[in-house]
Amino acid sequence: MLKIRNVNTYYGAIHAIHDIDVEVNEGEIVSVIGANGAGKSTLMKTIMGIVKPKTGTVEFMGEDITSASTAKIVKNGIVYVPEGRYIFPDLSVADNLMMGAYSQRFSAKELNDLMEEMYEMFPRLRERKKQLGGTLSGGEQQMLAIARGMMSRPKLIMFDEPSLGLAPIIVSEVFDTILKIKEEMQIPIVLVEQNAYKALSISNRCYILENGKVTLSGESAKLINDDNVRKAYLAG
Amino acid sequence: MFAMVTQLIVSGVATGFIYGLTAIEYTLIWNSCGLLNFAHTKTIMFSAYLFVGTFLAIMANAYLPAVICTIICIALFGVLIALIIFIPLRNFTRLIAVMATVMLGTVLNEGAVLIWGSAPMSAGGFLDGRVEIGGVVTSLANIYIIVISVLVTIGLRLFMKKTKPGRAMICVAQDKVAASLMGVEVKRSMALSVAISFAICGLLGCLCAPLFRVQQTMVDMVGLKGFAAGVIGGFGNTTGAIAGGLLLGVVENLACMVVPSMYKDVIAFTLLILFLLVKPNGLISVKKD
Repeated sequence: MLKIRNVNTYYGAIHAIHDIDVEVNEGEIVSVIGANGAGKSTLMKTIMGIVKPKTGTVEFMGEDITSASTAKIVKNGIVYVPEGRYIFPDLSVADNLMMGAYSQRFSAKELNDLMEEMYEMFPRLRERKKQLGGTLSGGEQQMLAIARGMMSRPKLIMFDEPSLGLAPIIVSEVFDTILKIKEEMQIPIVLVEQNAYKALSISNRCYILENGKVTLSGESAKLINDDNVRKAYLAG
Repeated sequence: MFAMVTQLIVSGVATGFIYGLTAIEYTLIWNSCGLLNFAHTKTIMFSAYLFVGTFLAIMANAYLPAVICTIICIALFGVLIALIIFIPLRNFTRLIAVMATVMLGTVLNEGAVLIWGSAPMSAGGFLDGRVEIGGVVTSLANIYIIVISVLVTIGLRLFMKKTKPGRAMICVAQDKVAASLMGVEVKRSMALSVAISFAICGLLGCLCAPLFRVQQTMVDMVGLKGFAAGVIGGFGNTTGAIAGGLLLGVVENLACMVVPSMYKDVIAFTLLILFLLVKPNGLISVKKD
């Protein structure tokens, strides 16, 4: 459903990603792993139209979205949960969730049902629904960011480093949630991670980025046993 | 004595709302674009000219339609200014956009002379007259200013809280990247904020027309005190803007009882300096972490 072909993105004179081809199909988790500065976030920003590629195309459900605005891309159904979460600090948890549904036209009842669904999934958020987003802990903010992303009933959801800076027990919780989103809600997922082992173990397919290029891609189950991958990303 | 104090308080409240609305008007642009609009006093002045010199003249003193036309014209002008100044210049150093708004002020100032001439004008019979409520006499203009300002403030608050474009404006003020990831067209939201800010300038122009003689420097002091009101109230939030405006308006009016009224401005700016020294975050501070 998402097809990225031959994309080259620059930051001024810096060539951030080179000739990237990535594809995401219905019902799968695709992970993108690589070191810091490999171009993972640039790839996400290119898909979202936050930075525009110099060459190449991004196609979503048959529509060319290469030059569409971020708002239009969100309306079309791609949701991006960025690294650093980007919670609105001075809005309450409930208002943050509300904003997640901004791009779609829902009736008051649909909105209520959606909120209820999110509170079922993340009981912590219900306890804190009146609290300001900025006062939540890191793990709670990550949960809020995920729930907020789900509020627009996305067709594809992309997580950028969801485990960054979280305690190990919370990290497992985040990955369980991601798996649940794919299995129960049938939403395809793009997962950008530095935690290569976790990413490989929950994804169906994986792309490995190095210096802005895809150096290896394939089924995660195979990559996890590949010697080169083990050496470079899984520390033996 | 009681009547006099009440009268001073009523006119203080009216002037206070003028300061408060001025503070709200530039706060809106500050929140959405991160820039100060140094042309705001000149925009208010220009609106007063447009109201008195053009619309009242054409419409033969049909007050309400003239006010509405003024507000609409200035709001549309605001959209234009958003597209050529605030949106394209926000990503450069602040100084460039600041200079652009100062220049805009000069253009409006000279434009007013060019279009309406250099002789001062008066608003004629607009909001002219006095009312007496329980022994307290005050001008009709004061009553109108208070009622209209309260309605505008409440309306603006409801708009920000209850409507989608309003909520989008709040989000754009807090985090532009996050807002765009929610599907908000950030530039459109910024243009809307500037348009509302200019519409308030248009309204202020109409409300100030009966208070002062309509001339180039008519609201220079209002502009400065509106700025002070924003700082006293707590920079960046609309509730604080009104609170600061009211405090400033009432204090400077009551001060007239003890010091000659020519020292009114001294009182106002002393209050500003006191707040900067003692409570720099203002009456109602926005938490930032």
